[in-house]
Amino acid sequence: MKASGRVILDKVFTVITGLSVILLIIVLLVILGPMLWRGLSAVAFKGTVEFRKMQLAEFGQGDESAVHIETAKAETAQKTVYEMIDRFKNGVDFEKLADRAKDIYRDFGEELQRKGLPREEYTELRSLSRKIRNELTAAFSSRDIGEINEHIDFVLKYSSDSRFEGTVASQFFRMAKDYRDAAANIDLEKRDEYASELAELEEIIKGLFGPHPEEDSPALAQFRYGATRWDQAQNLLYRLRWKEKWVEQEPGQPLVKIAVSRAELFAGTELEGLFGFVEMNLGRMLLPRWTFYWRYFVDDSTPGHYFGGVGPEILGTLMLTLLSMIFVVPFGVISAAYLAECARDNLIIRIIRMCINTLAGVPSIVFGLFGLAFFVLFFLPLFGAPSKPCILAGSLTLAVLTLPVMIRSSEEAIRAVPQTYKEASLALGASSFRTFVTVTLPAALPGILTGVILSLSRVAGETAPILFTAGIAVGPVPKSIFQTTRTLSYGSWDMAVADKLAAQVPHNQYGMVVALVLLILCLNALAIILRSRVFKRLKGH
Amino acid sequence: MMSSNKNEQTVAAAAGFDQPLLLTYTQDIKGFLLKHLGRIVLFVLTCTSVLAVFLIFLFVILEAFPFLNRFSIVEFLTSTAWYPSAHERPEFGVLALIVGSIYVTITALVFSVPIGILAAVFLSDMISFQVRGIVKSIIEILAAIPSVAYGFFAVLVLAPWLQKHFGFPTGTNALNASLLLSIMALPTIISVAEDSISATGRELREASYALGATRVETMFKVVIPAAHSGIIAAIVLGMMRAIGETMVVWMASGNASQVPHPWWDLSQSVRTMTATIAGDMGETEKGSDHYRALFAIGLLLLVMTFMLNLVSEYFLTRAKKSMGKS
Amino acid sequence: MSKEIVKVEGKDQMLSSTVLASKEKSGKLALLHGVKEKSVVKPMKKTKPVQECACPVVEARNFSFYYGSKMGIKDITMKIQPCAVTAIIGPSGCGKSTFLRSINRINDLIPNIRVEGEMFVNNQDIYVKQINLVNLRQQVGMVFQKPNPFPKSIFDNVAYGSKLQGIRKRGDLQEIVEESLKAAALWDEVKDDLRKSALSLSGGQQQRLCIARALATKPSVLLMDEPCSALDPISTGKIEDLIDNLKKDYTIVIVTHNMQQAARVSDQTAFFCLGELIEYDSTTTIFERPNKKQTEDYVTGRFG
Repeated sequence: MKASGRVILDKVFTVITGLSVILLIIVLLVILGPMLWRGLSAVAFKGTVEFRKMQLAEFGQGDESAVHIETAKAETAQKTVYEMIDRFKNGVDFEKLADRAKDIYRDFGEELQRKGLPREEYTELRSLSRKIRNELTAAFSSRDIGEINEHIDFVLKYSSDSRFEGTVASQFFRMAKDYRDAAANIDLEKRDEYASELAELEEIIKGLFGPHPEEDSPALAQFRYGATRWDQAQNLLYRLRWKEKWVEQEPGQPLVKIAVSRAELFAGTELEGLFGFVEMNLGRMLLPRWTFYWRYFVDDSTPGHYFGGVGPEILGTLMLTLLSMIFVVPFGVISAAYLAECARDNLIIRIIRMCINTLAGVPSIVFGLFGLAFFVLFFLPLFGAPSKPCILAGSLTLAVLTLPVMIRSSEEAIRAVPQTYKEASLALGASSFRTFVTVTLPAALPGILTGVILSLSRVAGETAPILFTAGIAVGPVPKSIFQTTRTLSYGSWDMAVADKLAAQVPHNQYGMVVALVLLILCLNALAIILRSRVFKRLKGH
Repeated sequence: MMSSNKNEQTVAAAAGFDQPLLLTYTQDIKGFLLKHLGRIVLFVLTCTSVLAVFLIFLFVILEAFPFLNRFSIVEFLTSTAWYPSAHERPEFGVLALIVGSIYVTITALVFSVPIGILAAVFLSDMISFQVRGIVKSIIEILAAIPSVAYGFFAVLVLAPWLQKHFGFPTGTNALNASLLLSIMALPTIISVAEDSISATGRELREASYALGATRVETMFKVVIPAAHSGIIAAIVLGMMRAIGETMVVWMASGNASQVPHPWWDLSQSVRTMTATIAGDMGETEKGSDHYRALFAIGLLLLVMTFMLNLVSEYFLTRAKKSMGKS
Repeated sequence: MSKEIVKVEGKDQMLSSTVLASKEKSGKLALLHGVKEKSVVKPMKKTKPVQECACPVVEARNFSFYYGSKMGIKDITMKIQPCAVTAIIGPSGCGKSTFLRSINRINDLIPNIRVEGEMFVNNQDIYVKQINLVNLRQQVGMVFQKPNPFPKSIFDNVAYGSKLQGIRKRGDLQEIVEESLKAAALWDEVKDDLRKSALSLSGGQQQRLCIARALATKPSVLLMDEPCSALDPISTGKIEDLIDNLKKDYTIVIVTHNMQQAARVSDQTAFFCLGELIEYDSTTTIFERPNKKQTEDYVTGRFG
């Protein structure tokens, strides 16, 4: 190859290798970036009055009087919307109207009885009111404006009848009048459609503002409140304004999703203006405010992680990891000390080293199997503990998993201590043991600590070993090490794959996994800082 | 002056040999006992790792043995029919699962080996010390991210994206799993390969440059051949990581127990051994055939990773030996 | 430090004022005092008159040392003079350090070693099974080539040996630390802050700290393995002065690469070559009228 060609190849190669590292950086950013961004929105977001209501009612957080004032303000703003809907319903929801007609008929009957009228009058009025009721019902269920007007006219003939004045039956006539007005305005063909559209609309309104102030509080926590976050509210607003439909735009082609304005669906009715009104006034109806929900890391969560935080998960992770460290650090450091100080290169030591390497290579799920078969089913019953998954079994499993990491890093730290310190100490008359404890170990301590932190971060992220030994997705906060626990790792898996509700609260999904990633990154950063300090310290010699 | 001070100060110095140079009998015995007892205790504690490995193999084999006894091992290993919950005749063929594991592993290596070696070359040769520290930190961060977070990304971010942009029937498939596995194997490959490339030393490179070779020629004709054992070890270790990975493949591979039909079609879902164990265990009764079959799969995994470990050890010692000589 | 020419037993001798002062104390000589500038030309020391000395005698008899199958030193027989400075010189790899390190058995750290012959300290062969290594090493102190203070404070470094001896009381330790630092000529420089890390001192200061540390256990023999080779000339000078001061109370054996240093500080000199003791005599003899040709070749710089 010509010299210039070789030089070009050289430069190209340099660029390509550089690109590979840039690719790595890009991958890291692509993976971490969106996750961190979305996850952090679990902690910093625009929260609405519903959020503050929820915090007060479910977690006891927040200023009660302030929340009440805000709730009142919001409800005032929301009132218009409810009124608009009610009015529309009066005109359209014929089942309800028919039911009301029946109620009026019944109440009128009772009233007549109380009045104690003579039998003939009673029966006559009763049958008349029955007829009115039936006419009204017919009017309600009819689609033909002509028919409706006929029925209404019939009913209204009796509006001036004195026998009905001042009684419950006068409501018949009001209903009839309202209905005639409403019916004049709407497309009666679409009435069935209206019913289902209205149901959808009411559902969205419920999602935005919570259940109607006069309704009973639902059993499930997720339905008790409206949109707790402003971004949630915006999504719902979009759904309010636009309905997504699948239509066949071109024959023979797959269906295409288009968005239809709901306002159009309700064109000509009272509700047409609802949508613009809601959009313009949503701020006043929900009172959004920037919220820094640091309690996310402390609070428990409602079922399905719909509301609340990851407090129990963090606690579970910490308990598991700290307990496993307590088990593994003594064995790890002592093994490392033996290997670094006392071991000669013979067969036994080589076997030990091979076993350490083997341990390091065992897949994490096999550790889970081992934890199940040995710790849960065999070891724990030996000591009288129930053979069920629990924190103790999980941390023992994790301790075995992280043993090689601990041994390797500790041995490295001990070997890094310069031989001269040992010589100086021995020359002063100290025994080997004394030298190790008073000189070598303190000098190696930062390195060992780095190893502990790295082991901690590894253990915190492990999911497979605790799947059958300690972890659960849903459960109470553990009170002893003989119970199972939720953890950040298990919870992240659960939120991503198993939990059905989780998709509705992406901020909580991402929040959980981001809490885990942040915990691990902080631990690693700590280890890196420690390691550079160690390097500086020993560099003096 | 200094001298007079010194005179007074050396008063108590050199009092003479007043301490005995020989140990008394009791001192001797005590020292002997302590020393050897101490060593024995430390030795026993160090053997916990041996004990752990022994127990792992023992208990996995114990739980898997009844299954392996009753069902034919050949059928176990060669049949692709994995229907453990079938009522009449449950079948326990794991070939599809083995193929699934190997499929995603090899594909992951196809992505990660070239990138990993190039990155290792870059790290060891092309950049200054400070930048190297930063890049190494980035690689450490990549290695530190837990597998469940990668799996999360795979399911919630990558899968929809793949589905949208490539029109796959599903976003959780072999491609998804392989991509994530390659990212997870990269730090291992890079660090081991970089170690062995750096270990070849400056002299080798300087000699090559002195003869007029360019960087790329030196890399490919001198350094990499010299470090080839270490690089092979790096690849084997990356393979070990990929095969043993559970959460990512469970979440991202689609979990369809099938041998991919056109072998190059990565958009198909596959199921790996690790995902099977993780996924099925929650639903099986302790002690049932299914349960023991899962342990059998675990045993298979254990054996496979053990073998890979031996291979990587072999190559690492070869690398050390060749470095030792140069 | 000043030096004077004094008449001692009829001969002209140049002695340091420290020695003069001690001689005055012992009342053996009449002295002329006067302060002179420190002379630049390094004088040759004459052999000291034998004095009463409490130090033990270190004696090697047919002592050989093997690293596995490789020979370190072979068949060394020599008697170290108490209360004097003995220098061991020779080319690289000739076993000087090996011999030195055999005296306090610090070589035991190396695996696969083998010893033949005897090494006597205070009439006790130290290569017996029942040797009390702790006591041996506390009484035979060592200073290493590269200064190696522990990564602890200055105080803790010097007090380390005393703590090993069981001295626990604060007051006692402080006294010993101060004493040792003064003996090592380091006290004035560090007395303000003994809590400072030892690693923050300069190279020369660290080496003096190591000497102080070694002195704290009140040894009788001080072994120095090329103590100045890692130091600059000024520090080297300070340490040589120190050795001069110490030698009347300690037996000092110093291994050095630097012939001029050996000539400056020592009373006796041993010349090693290829693991064997070639010649052992007073310093003046070795440097002025060596008996063996090899010695002469080395001393005059013809090889090594």
